[in-house]
Amino acid sequence: MTFFGRLAPSIIKRSALAAIQVCGFCLFAWACQSVATKVSSPIPGSVIGLAILLLLLCLKLVPEKSVNLGASWLIAELLLFFIPPVVGAIKYQPLLANYGVELIAAMLAASTLVLIGTAYTVDKLFKFEHQQNLKRQQKKVNAQVIHLPSTDSTSNLATKEQKAA
Amino acid sequence: MNHINIGLFCLALTLVSYYASKALYKKQHKTWFAPIIIAPALILIVVVTLKIDVADYFSYSHWLAAMLAPATIAFAVPIYRERLLIKQYPLTLSLGVITGLFLGLASSWLLVKWTHLPPELSHSLMVRSVSTPFAVEATTAFGGVPELTAMLVLLTGIIGMLICEPLFKIAKINSSIAKGVALGASAHGAGAAKATEIGRQEGVIASLTMIFTGIVMVIAAPLFATLIN
Repeated sequence: MTFFGRLAPSIIKRSALAAIQVCGFCLFAWACQSVATKVSSPIPGSVIGLAILLLLLCLKLVPEKSVNLGASWLIAELLLFFIPPVVGAIKYQPLLANYGVELIAAMLAASTLVLIGTAYTVDKLFKFEHQQNLKRQQKKVNAQVIHLPSTDSTSNLATKEQKAA
Repeated sequence: MNHINIGLFCLALTLVSYYASKALYKKQHKTWFAPIIIAPALILIVVVTLKIDVADYFSYSHWLAAMLAPATIAFAVPIYRERLLIKQYPLTLSLGVITGLFLGLASSWLLVKWTHLPPELSHSLMVRSVSTPFAVEATTAFGGVPELTAMLVLLTGIIGMLICEPLFKIAKINSSIAKGVALGASAHGAGAAKATEIGRQEGVIASLTMIFTGIVMVIAAPLFATLIN
């Protein structure tokens, strides 16, 4: 079989699967939004849909591979979907032209604050939680050592423990 | 040209600009060539120079914007896929999301206090650091305008993407989780794309942070709005 002969069916099959899954996502989104507007929910339908799908995935009621391709495509093309709302801002062109420079300068300063502040905080938090995780793992290993003193993988630690005792 | 033709032309323009800018970025891998900068710029230039009416632009292209809702639901899949990472660092991720969200709101609020922007702009600024599908939902709680919000969200993403690397160097941020959370919380999708370029783990963490900050923002927007006013 030629290269294309083997490649083409798999690509077509994947694209078709992705398309069907995307349609599924659209129908589900439409259903969620209709229900959300009907009960005038303060949380938008799309976020409710996200929660429901996550729950179904966690309960294994929906297998991951049945939504995987569609979800990957939707997320990869996100930029395409938010271009139209950006173009809609043309209506406010005079406003943006008047305040553009001031706005961008201010946003630059604000974004710097958010980036540095968040990164610094998370850096400190991560070091703390990583230490905690290591300690917890160490405790688990120690507990196993006490119960199974003669297994190969833990023998090294076991002898240390015995020596310490 | 009648209205239907203009509408179809705009849809084609949007699709062609988007896919062309993606192809260009694959060849010219420079931050300034990112599709998030080139594609909207190209479309805006054409729409403004040809003096196309916004209503005509939307006649067909609004179907693209309608895809934001299914895309939001699709975010459930990466959360599920990375559940082990979430279980491993629940504290770092949740407090990271809260810090990012708080700083995003606080910085926007200070920005509004210190500059003299008209209310449409200043109200639309509040949700600028979360992803577009969440931002356009949350902005009405603050009295913002969805279209302006989309524009400000886009600008915030581009700014974050451009300034992150020098900032990380100056602040000596090395851990991938810190870079990921900061980019996801401050620059949403653009930040996540940038983080994926820095490294796989950074990208995953940035995407998760972006999704969580978006969800929290949408749910808590009415509360934040009453606190601020």
